[in-house]
Amino acid sequence: MPIENPFQDPLRFERRVPECAIAIFGAHGDLTSRKLMPALYRLAYDRRLSAGFAVIGISRTAMSDDQFREKMQESVKQFSEDTTFDADVWKAFASGLFYVAGDIGDAALYRNIGAKLAEVEQARHTGGNVLFYLSTQPSQYAAASQGLGAAGLGKGNGWRRLVVEKPFGHDLASARELSSRLHEVFQESDVYRIDHYLGKETVQNILAFRFGNGIFEPLWNRRYVNHVQITGAESIGVEGRGAYYQETGALADMIQNHLLQVMATIAMEPSASFHANSVRDERSKLLRSIHAMTPDEIRQNAVPGQYGPAKIGGEDVPGFRQEKGVDPQSQANTYAAVAFSVENWRWAGVPFYLRTGKRLPKRVTEIAIQFNPAPLAIFEDEDGPGSAPNLLIVRIQPEEGISLKFLSKRPGEGMTLRPVSMDFNYGSSFGERSPSAYETLLLDAVIGDPTLYTRQDMVEASWAVVEPIQNVWRETKFDFPNYAAGTWGPAAADEMLARRGHVWRKP
Amino acid sequence: MGGTVAPEKILRELSDLWVSLGREAPAPADAGVLRACSMTFVVLAEESDDVQSLGETIAALMPAHPARALVVRLRGAGERALSERVYAQCWMPFGQRKQICCEQIEITASDSALADLPSIVLPLAVPDFPLILWCRSARLWGLPEFRPIEAMAHKVVVDSAAFADQKAVLPRMAEAVTRGVLLGDLSWTRLTRWREMLAQVFENRQYLAQLPRVSRVYVEFAEPFEALAWYMGAWIADSLADVGVPAELTVAPEADGPSLRVTLSGEGIQVELARQEERLTIVVNALSHCTNLPRPAEHLLLREEAGIVRHDPVFEKALASAARLAYPGDK
Repeated sequence: MPIENPFQDPLRFERRVPECAIAIFGAHGDLTSRKLMPALYRLAYDRRLSAGFAVIGISRTAMSDDQFREKMQESVKQFSEDTTFDADVWKAFASGLFYVAGDIGDAALYRNIGAKLAEVEQARHTGGNVLFYLSTQPSQYAAASQGLGAAGLGKGNGWRRLVVEKPFGHDLASARELSSRLHEVFQESDVYRIDHYLGKETVQNILAFRFGNGIFEPLWNRRYVNHVQITGAESIGVEGRGAYYQETGALADMIQNHLLQVMATIAMEPSASFHANSVRDERSKLLRSIHAMTPDEIRQNAVPGQYGPAKIGGEDVPGFRQEKGVDPQSQANTYAAVAFSVENWRWAGVPFYLRTGKRLPKRVTEIAIQFNPAPLAIFEDEDGPGSAPNLLIVRIQPEEGISLKFLSKRPGEGMTLRPVSMDFNYGSSFGERSPSAYETLLLDAVIGDPTLYTRQDMVEASWAVVEPIQNVWRETKFDFPNYAAGTWGPAAADEMLARRGHVWRKP
Repeated sequence: MGGTVAPEKILRELSDLWVSLGREAPAPADAGVLRACSMTFVVLAEESDDVQSLGETIAALMPAHPARALVVRLRGAGERALSERVYAQCWMPFGQRKQICCEQIEITASDSALADLPSIVLPLAVPDFPLILWCRSARLWGLPEFRPIEAMAHKVVVDSAAFADQKAVLPRMAEAVTRGVLLGDLSWTRLTRWREMLAQVFENRQYLAQLPRVSRVYVEFAEPFEALAWYMGAWIADSLADVGVPAELTVAPEADGPSLRVTLSGEGIQVELARQEERLTIVVNALSHCTNLPRPAEHLLLREEAGIVRHDPVFEKALASAARLAYPGDK
């Protein structure tokens, strides 16, 4: 009978990490250089990987193992933000890096991958466990998965998992089509759709905040919450990704995945346990409770935007249509604001305002929960700061933390109230370095914990509410640009809230 | 020199301190001073202890475990003396506008005033949070006056490596645990990353299958790490025994070796862990792996211990076994 590892000490040790190989498709690409390899190196640096850990880089460019190691070393040196480069740790880590060149559509590539995996399994005792990571063009996801299946690599001595980067389709039908192609080789439980927002510490902290404390949950419903604003703002423009952005737009790039996942986390029902499927079931239920709007409702509750040129800090900034690779008549949205409603007992009648955009005044991601005012205003200052509503703000970036704004008496004579803020700052309260989202998510995939990954039904539920908006916007000709770079978006978005007596926060 | 210390007065001084910190804070509404507190942290140190180094350790601990810190400096024998001062420990987190501050109180006491300490410390403890006592003084640990101070704490942290006879202190610590004291030893904490790496080796199913072949455990240590070596040996032997693998344990000094070298061997399996400067090298049969392992600063060890305010069965078992193995004749 196999014995249990007797040396584990869960009170003090980090999670148990099994031996495995990671095979990265698109190893020559930006994501591998900027995010994946620095994250893997940091995990090795922090002793989080097993001794026989191996990475097999896969791409079309011909390269030897040593050339791949050199390239990855440069990437780690350049893109590791807060990790010291240690030559000895790198040497040990690099001895587990291998490379296979080939075309994703070519069956020979998969034979070579199979041979390399067998070699690595023998030499580094990876136990046949393989995590395939698709960091390629989305159009190649299905081909790569089917190539693996045809070569018999979807199954082996150990477990086989597949990590897929967004976008998961470009509409509901394509998302379903992609899933069904992946399922021909991998079961849904082995498909890990990565949404790096869910790997951020504060997003995970939302679960701790809501379900680890008894005092907030009773307030978390339509009786006490007036409305919720979720903002994902970028101060930069499209930064050379104009052609991609022109096809995708802010709605599909941010709201369909990241912001709806954040909304699901903030609004979901408590899960019965912290097991992956239990948490994901509740997220999925919430996404399915979002009302899919009719075209008329969309015109009232969704606002697209596109930034125009402006001067920011004395510097001329181009508009979207002036960006490289962008059609001068482009109708793509670089800003999107949507008022969603959730059709369940907890949230009926509470608007969830989601907005995202490029070239907004600052880079900030936050959730602001505005509570109803006190039922009776017994203090005089009805329109002044003394009537400010209670706000709970969950900041995801750049300063992760939670603030509660409430009223307090101004010191001195008289009963004048003023809003004050009680802050919990994640970075200052826990001085340790927070792992990057990719470190968290890669480790989760290796360990086999899909809690923070998106499931097929969640992807489909998101598309079900986003696709009708896309369709209406596609059929409408907008008078773009409708906001200047460096401002908080189009006036129509302000008007959308004003109709309900609400105002966008300026984070 | 006599002296009394009134906790009420200290609490008033703390209150005044926050008012003055608030006044000094910069103007924007969202800047200012944030008070943070998650425990009361009482430090017992000899007056000869390096004040600056101790202050730096406490300051480095605060971001992870913000606390009201009470530093009691022991003046030794002589005329009865007791005095106090109050100040704030502040830091500005990188890239942020708010200054984070913790309270710090320093009390100086002679041995003859030690009996008064509990009546001062108790009213100063922050309600509803744990009181962690870090005893840096080996001398005090042996005094009868220590018992009532120890009784106030939710957890007592010591460092057996700081004791002159490290082996001898293990049975005393084991006895404290049997009395119900929640104890932490920084020598044990220093082993966490080592133990974790050893556990990680046997997460590999192939190596785990070979574990029953281990017949010998050899722990070599350099001079200041004797308690550490006994802990490591006892923990490995206990863990192996738990899965029915009897192994012969040797704990031996190695004058010129690294701080610690651990070898598990048997037919067809050899696992070796050794420190080389700031790195840990793990060799499993022919496969070698190297990972970053800086020598843990005291505040990092304290950070780990302050995060565990509950019984730690693995430590308590290893302590009992280490005490028994180090002194096989004792009960």
